Amino acid sequence: MSLFPVVGRKQPRLRVAWWVIVALLCLGIFMHLIPFFIMISTSFKPASEAMAMPPTLFPREPTLAGWELAFNMTASARSLISQPLSQYFINSVIMTVGTLLLSIPITSMSAYACSKLLKGRSARYWFFFFIGTLMLPGIVTLIPSYLLTRNFPFPLPVAPTIPGTETPFPTIRIWNTFWAVILPAGFSAGNFLLFKGFFDSIPDSIINAARVDGGSEFNIFRRIVLPMSVPVFAVTIYFQFSGTWESYLWPLVVIQDSSIAPLTLAVRRLVDAFTYAGTTNAQTALGQSANVSNLVNQGLSWNGLMVLGLLQAIPVFLFFIVVREYLLKGVRIQGLK
Amino acid sequence: MSSVQLENVVKYYDSALLPGAAPALDHITLEIRDGETVSVVGPSGCGKSTLLKTIAGLERPDAGRIFYNQTEVTQIPTQERGIGMIFQDYALYPNREGQGNLSYYFEVRKKTEEEKQQRLKETAEMMGIGFDLLLSRQVDTLSGGERQRVGIARCIVRDPNVFLMDEPISNLDAKLRERTRVEMRRLLSKFGITTLYVTHDQQEAIFMGDRIIVMRAGRVEQFDSFDALYYTPANLFVASLIGTPPISVLPAERDGLTLRLHSGDSWTLPEALAHTLPPGRLRLAVRPEGWLVALQPGDGLALNVTHIERLYTERAAFAHGQLGGAAINALVPLDFPDTRQVFLQPDWERSYVFHADNESALHVPGVPDLF
Repeated sequence: MSLFPVVGRKQPRLRVAWWVIVALLCLGIFMHLIPFFIMISTSFKPASEAMAMPPTLFPREPTLAGWELAFNMTASARSLISQPLSQYFINSVIMTVGTLLLSIPITSMSAYACSKLLKGRSARYWFFFFIGTLMLPGIVTLIPSYLLTRNFPFPLPVAPTIPGTETPFPTIRIWNTFWAVILPAGFSAGNFLLFKGFFDSIPDSIINAARVDGGSEFNIFRRIVLPMSVPVFAVTIYFQFSGTWESYLWPLVVIQDSSIAPLTLAVRRLVDAFTYAGTTNAQTALGQSANVSNLVNQGLSWNGLMVLGLLQAIPVFLFFIVVREYLLKGVRIQGLK
Repeated sequence: MSSVQLENVVKYYDSALLPGAAPALDHITLEIRDGETVSVVGPSGCGKSTLLKTIAGLERPDAGRIFYNQTEVTQIPTQERGIGMIFQDYALYPNREGQGNLSYYFEVRKKTEEEKQQRLKETAEMMGIGFDLLLSRQVDTLSGGERQRVGIARCIVRDPNVFLMDEPISNLDAKLRERTRVEMRRLLSKFGITTLYVTHDQQEAIFMGDRIIVMRAGRVEQFDSFDALYYTPANLFVASLIGTPPISVLPAERDGLTLRLHSGDSWTLPEALAHTLPPGRLRLAVRPEGWLVALQPGDGLALNVTHIERLYTERAAFAHGQLGGAAINALVPLDFPDTRQVFLQPDWERSYVFHADNESALHVPGVPDLF
């Protein structure tokens, strides 16, 4: 809006610049949309065409075979992934909702406390403590985190023994449960920053007025601050939602049992099966894996995987549409991303 | 309703923990009587807002005790003190409409709907005509004056013990400020609620307060009625803060009956006054109306008039100039002729003398006995 002055827009130089920027933006949009287009287009192709070289831009014989197969996984697909797809979908929902229910209250309240309840030096120290978790890349803490899920609260492969005895300390094993995904996501430093930035912008006098009115600190947070903070909650819930829904590495590390694996793992397992089978063309695939060849015979190949990918992306997309207005407001407030 | 007492209250802010840092409130002891309106005035950063917050319980004092009606409340949280507070930025809850702002108090106290409606009705009546209309509107559609009315209503709807106002009208434009001021004074005298009114504007302080607290650097310099502050200031700071145009301060030196200014000019002191003053350096302070202005040289010293400011609405004029390095403004009649030079002598009965170093009062005129 403010990129260009309102007055003098008709000047030739500004006009050229205007169209150059429009063109660049269109190019950006195009580049972002191309993969989606390929996904959608491929999902409507028959199995053989999906693996054709060179690939076709539009399906020559559009078919819903891929979609049907993805929804009705046959016995041969079952040998690749042990549960019905709906089970993985439900697992993903459980993890995402659980993470949201735990993380958003914890993160928002800690940010509120840091912004409005603590004063002076202690507020600063706590802020750095919370923000410090951003300084280490997640990959560095992957192994300690994994060990923690094995022998909570010790980040060790084997729990230490109680000094002077042979008995090990009692530990909790959350590895290979939903908790292994949900608990570590209970606090999000990125969302903490967003919350803190927003709460800092709320004048202290409003909080003080509510205190004078007799509201307890929690009641003030719930009845006064929360309704004022809908945009920032929308932004953080969206980030948390998409982050958990799309997470792959951490569930891969801590979830072994396929009955509780999320959708990302299932899709990946199928993709792997096809990739190992060398699905660059149908012939090789047929030769190398009986299971995969069965699937291909039923018309499932990359077209089905694209369907899975789309199914995987749809919830995030729908969620984005729901919170879009607040997201944009949040972007305006925070200047984020 | 209740009285408010402070006993040796000390407050340090976290940022002032460095050695030698001054406290925000430095051993404040005072008593506000039941039903009284007290203004707090002082330069910015003098601790007047901190004083208000400490009385409200929003800041805990580091030492000292606070009483409402002889009951100690120092450790009682704000929520349970039963006070009403008005803020400079109104501090209305932006996501609630006017009525929602008033009803938060009833929500958190689990009051019945009937009681709430009853109080809302009474409040609307007290606030006067057109107030009902504000209640149904969203806060961001209200103008500054309307917001402050809702803010005031939010306080009186609960029937507070103590009313605390932190520069409530300084964000309004001049005309509205005057009107709101009169309105608030009317409401306050109607309720008879003990009120503490913080402001940086002395006019407002004089208008609103039965008594005035003058603060500087976390200390109460003087706490008295306006007349007492004006005629018997405790020190030079109070004298120069109260009064418009400000008091003129002339550094001087007394030698016998002679009072010599830095410029070398001198006046002769009356004997009675001279005996009460120590010899040596002093500060003479004279208010605009405390000058004897003459067009002919007599006992007076010549003042080169830079300009004469005629305030037709006030039916007065002030002659401005420099004397002995100090800015002078002397009250003259409105029809005073335009002239480049007048001759000035302090009306010794109405002049103030302060200690040169600690600025404490050595001689003040005293409150005139008008009746």
